Amino acid sequence: MDTLNPPLSILQAVRRRDHIAHNAWQVFAFLFIGLALAFTLVAAPSGDTFYFRLATEALIYSGLAMSVDLLLGFTGLLSLGQALFFGLGAYTSALVLKHVGPSFWTAMAVTLLVSTAVGIVGGFIAIRARGVYFALITFGMAQVVSKIVYNTRELGASDGIMGIPVIQANFLLFKVDTAQAPAFFLTVLAMTMGLYFCIAYLLRTPFGRTLGAVRNNECRVPFLGYNPQLYKMLAYVLAADMAAFSGALYPMLRGFVSPELMYFAVSGDAVITVVIGGLGTLIGAIYGSVILTGLKSAIGTYTGHYQIVIGVLFMLSVIAFPKGLMGYLSPLVEKWLAGRRENP
Amino acid sequence: MTGGELPVLEVRDLTVSFGALTAVCGMCFSAERGKITSIIGPNGAGKSTLFNLVSGGIRPSAGTVLFEGADVTGWAPYKLIRAGISRSFQITNLFFELPVYENLRLAAQALESSTKSLLPVRCSARARERVDELIEQFDLGEKVHELAGYLSHGEQRRLEIAVVLACRPRLLLLDEPTQGMSHSDTQEIGKVIRKLSGDLSILLIEHDIDLVMDLSDHVVVMHQGAKLAEGTPPEVKGNPLVQSAYLGLSVHAGN
Repeated sequence: MDTLNPPLSILQAVRRRDHIAHNAWQVFAFLFIGLALAFTLVAAPSGDTFYFRLATEALIYSGLAMSVDLLLGFTGLLSLGQALFFGLGAYTSALVLKHVGPSFWTAMAVTLLVSTAVGIVGGFIAIRARGVYFALITFGMAQVVSKIVYNTRELGASDGIMGIPVIQANFLLFKVDTAQAPAFFLTVLAMTMGLYFCIAYLLRTPFGRTLGAVRNNECRVPFLGYNPQLYKMLAYVLAADMAAFSGALYPMLRGFVSPELMYFAVSGDAVITVVIGGLGTLIGAIYGSVILTGLKSAIGTYTGHYQIVIGVLFMLSVIAFPKGLMGYLSPLVEKWLAGRRENP
Repeated sequence: MTGGELPVLEVRDLTVSFGALTAVCGMCFSAERGKITSIIGPNGAGKSTLFNLVSGGIRPSAGTVLFEGADVTGWAPYKLIRAGISRSFQITNLFFELPVYENLRLAAQALESSTKSLLPVRCSARARERVDELIEQFDLGEKVHELAGYLSHGEQRRLEIAVVLACRPRLLLLDEPTQGMSHSDTQEIGKVIRKLSGDLSILLIEHDIDLVMDLSDHVVVMHQGAKLAEGTPPEVKGNPLVQSAYLGLSVHAGN
């Protein structure tokens, strides 16, 4: 049994390496929080609302992008219709706030119930198909629902729902007024990062690892004792809830919702966001969303045809950084973390 | 001496048709507990289809599969794994973009109770111990970091068997474990398989006839989707029907 000792040390190394890769993501997550707080400190005294609202919007879209990354980067399912659930969340939240009562928590709770129910129905339809067929079904479902909303007078048809009241979100110890841009920004920051840490945790459990197995070689998964259809369903519903959760914050920020929120442009931007930020990194979705939202706003001040510029930038970034921003930066941080550990 | 004991696997009149083609027709055989039972036959005899029927990849058109006396006909693969039947693949079927360690860990995870599935993976102590055992048993210690796709063919075949064993099955189905292997690697795998039998019942498909005759306790010969003969290795070797099937002569049952 002279071989007993070396394998144990190797296994410790495996765990350490896992740990370092995980820590690299954590470094970027905390860096993001630091940057956001620094931005708040710098911008708040100036009384700015435009940049706070823009930054809040970037955070809201990052929740949608994370849901796309959960499906595409971790489960191997390309959704081209994730805006369906984003818009569903936005409309549900808007209707609750306007007609039921201006309660933050009621809006969030009803949204999650509705998105879970719709997610299960959508999942039953979509996960039967694989690869490009899955992508087309998700695309089709989002198109159908957005056209239905567009043509439903009760939902405001093409105008959407306007005049959503400003609300006060009650967090027991304090209240946040959605009209106060910096306070609402910090609230959405806390919720988005909370969502990030929850999903990052989930991806390190056997459940999350099994999703990775489905992504890697779905045909082998049943022969390990797991039903891949069940795992795809769970991922799909979870992603629906994530997208709807983010969408529910949208009317609180902008005071209106419109059918455009469900359009392909939103779904497509979410996929672009994830690819730019780094597919399968989760934190990349947040950075990607800030980059894309920032670029759209900056280019939008010069030209209405910002999609052309975004498209070209997207192509260039895919060629230069095929693994995205995080895919490029994280090995550097991993090296630094590993080095720091060896020479303390 | 074990004549009264329940066979670990019993297949009765198993039949499957794909359109007009009947790939397996009225197959009957049983595998004894702790023994190595081999299925041999020329290409296209229906061996792999039979394996898919037993392991849940394909549902049979007719017939019954009994595992330890319980009817498991048409069960999904993930249910059969939990019941104790695990299989390997003729064409290496691993998670090629995942490290060796994660391949084993995923397979060993089936040993844990589902209550652990939402706790961090490091909490799955039973799975971790099983992976440690397999790494030692299959001498994969130096490769744990490597992606499975970067291993040599021989190493991948070894990993494939380790992955299949991770859930501690009671019946192991090995589909051509030495496929594409060098002579020395084949000998090595033969030794591994021999060591496994005893605690484990093994059903083996293999093209290397010398290896089959050397390892098996019982051999079933398939030809054109049906059973041609069965018996101990010497009985099968001496059977004229088997000889003519392997020489490619047309054989009519009852000749």
